[in-house]
Amino acid sequence: MTVTHHPDELLLLGHAAGRLEEATTLIVAAHLNFCDRCRSDVAGLVHAGGVLLDDIAPVALADDALARTLARLDAVDAPPALPVSRDNTPAPLRAWMGRDLSDVRWRRMGPRLGYVNLMRRGPVALRLLRGAPGSDTGRHGHRGVEYTLVLRGGFTDETGSYGPGDFQIATPDTRHNPVADAGEDCINLAVTTGRLIFDGLVGRVAGRVFGF
Amino acid sequence: MAHAALAPRQHTFYRSRPRLLLIEPAEPWNLLLRRVAETRDRAAFGLLFAHFAPRIKSYLMRLGVPAQQAEDLAQDAMLTMWRKAALFDPNRASASTWIFTIARNLQIDAIRRHRRRQFDAGDPSLARSPEPGAESGLEMQQSERALRQAMRVLPPDQNEIIMQFFFSDKPHSQIASELDIPLGTVKSRLRLAIARLRAAMGEAP
Repeated sequence: MTVTHHPDELLLLGHAAGRLEEATTLIVAAHLNFCDRCRSDVAGLVHAGGVLLDDIAPVALADDALARTLARLDAVDAPPALPVSRDNTPAPLRAWMGRDLSDVRWRRMGPRLGYVNLMRRGPVALRLLRGAPGSDTGRHGHRGVEYTLVLRGGFTDETGSYGPGDFQIATPDTRHNPVADAGEDCINLAVTTGRLIFDGLVGRVAGRVFGF
Repeated sequence: MAHAALAPRQHTFYRSRPRLLLIEPAEPWNLLLRRVAETRDRAAFGLLFAHFAPRIKSYLMRLGVPAQQAEDLAQDAMLTMWRKAALFDPNRASASTWIFTIARNLQIDAIRRHRRRQFDAGDPSLARSPEPGAESGLEMQQSERALRQAMRVLPPDQNEIIMQFFFSDKPHSQIASELDIPLGTVKSRLRLAIARLRAAMGEAP
């Protein structure tokens, strides 16, 4: 399995520095689960951050901080490990959801599409999307940015083909109609920072009804 | 290895900082960490705490973490250091990069934990992670010295971007715009910097 579409450098750096908001850090972390190249890029950046840590101006802790931490040392025990995933759900996503992808309850959006709203905070939404082979979401544009990570199967649109681990960045300039590839259902993790703008009345109404 | 070597002096971002560590080599922190691992030496822990906890708190506050939460996370990072000290390998990483990795991973997990579901079993901050963790970072075939060297010879414009993103107190979205160069240029400089770091770590581009 070769990952050919990656998060851009600013996303990797933002993730390395711990600066991205929750939904975006989760989708980037899930991509690293598939992609050796980005994982090693982030590792290099994290180490660069450590090299720079010595240069940072310190901020004093409370006077009793050391005493309180010393008092906690004896209580530190080895942690229990999470049980192994049954279906190779990416570890960061699984830890966040607390369950495997197989145990997710899908909401239907027509006969061939499904979705799960994982989180919404302000304009930022995190979702799982599922499409049967050959299904499409309808042509749409974006008011914000849309990050899509393929977890299973694949899809194809005007910009190319995306398989497991591929990371698509759609901007307000992008209009596309993703179509799920033949074979198994396509399952994506998606972050949007603004509403989607669907073509046609039906698409627009459906988009509103389902909260896209 | 002198800390002075890390700082391109020509840049104001560095110049504005008090350079407290100019005369201190990194090795004492490595030795203290070894003592924590081997003899559970609380005095050594105290010295490490005095140096690193305030820097971790500073780093977290620059990310926008509220002061009290940054203080708690800094203490948690020190506890994690105590617990995992035996995994520290001074041949692979310095104490500061190792401890920074711990703090950064705690911060990432804190972001996620913010809205943890109640059915979430176990603590992901302590679970095996596919991300570069404190341990897997050590397992990487990389030389700390090579990385420091790479950081040192990184052109100032590339170093600046990395420095800003790690340690600026501005929001993520503001940094790129305030660098006052086009986004495409930011990305291409960053790409060059990543390539150099990757090369320093002995990986194919």
